[in-house]
Amino acid sequence: MIALAVVAVIAALEAVRVVAERNTMRKLPYLNVVSFAITGSLMLLLPHPLTILACAAYFVGSTLESNAIASTWSGGIRKHE
Amino acid sequence: MLAEGLRVLIAAGVCWLNFVTIDVFFGLPKEGGVSGATAIAQEVEKGGGALHGGYMLGNIVSSPDASAGTLLASCAVYAAGIPGGLVMALLVYIGNRICYDPGYAGTTGCITATFIVYAFTQIGFLATDFIAGMVIAILTIQGLSHVHASRLLATLWRWRSA
Repeated sequence: MIALAVVAVIAALEAVRVVAERNTMRKLPYLNVVSFAITGSLMLLLPHPLTILACAAYFVGSTLESNAIASTWSGGIRKHE
Repeated sequence: MLAEGLRVLIAAGVCWLNFVTIDVFFGLPKEGGVSGATAIAQEVEKGGGALHGGYMLGNIVSSPDASAGTLLASCAVYAAGIPGGLVMALLVYIGNRICYDPGYAGTTGCITATFIVYAFTQIGFLATDFIAGMVIAILTIQGLSHVHASRLLATLWRWRSA
């Protein structure tokens, strides 16, 4: 199945880039691609209606973590002018 | 019926157009939605990229936007057809609120992608093509070169805001 192979290869490639990138903030977009690929592979490996909930929970959770890492790293909440 | 590799590439193009159009329309490159998105944009700019493109990269990282909506809609249509896609749109809406995002890019992207993916399944494509296609599409924006992706997005944003 080409779709699963494509998703798995992209996940592995981007995981390497997350490790190789030195700048913490610039790691996060690569990590975001890994989250996309894992969400896709969840559904490709477990094709069932309940997997919809698993995909949403995993993706929203990983995004919230990235959001938290980025916001903490940048110094927390700042009021916009 | 086309070969699977070709279908995945066509699906990647369709997904790319869907999420970039909706994200730029909803103004994701305008400013960072949360402080983390702004910080990512500043780092991308320091690395030689464009600030407004960086805001969009940061916003995609920080909250489920139209790209996430497209991926999750493809997954949902694969498992449960159009009703699955609409349930997923509701979950994306909740996800946006969890991530402190007041916008509607994710929900809109999820709904449009649901109908686009369903339409393509009627002409010989599979929903799995769109799952792999969307992962390729997000790779081109977030995973290859932040400098070039952010410049491209900044150019699109200039056209949108002109």
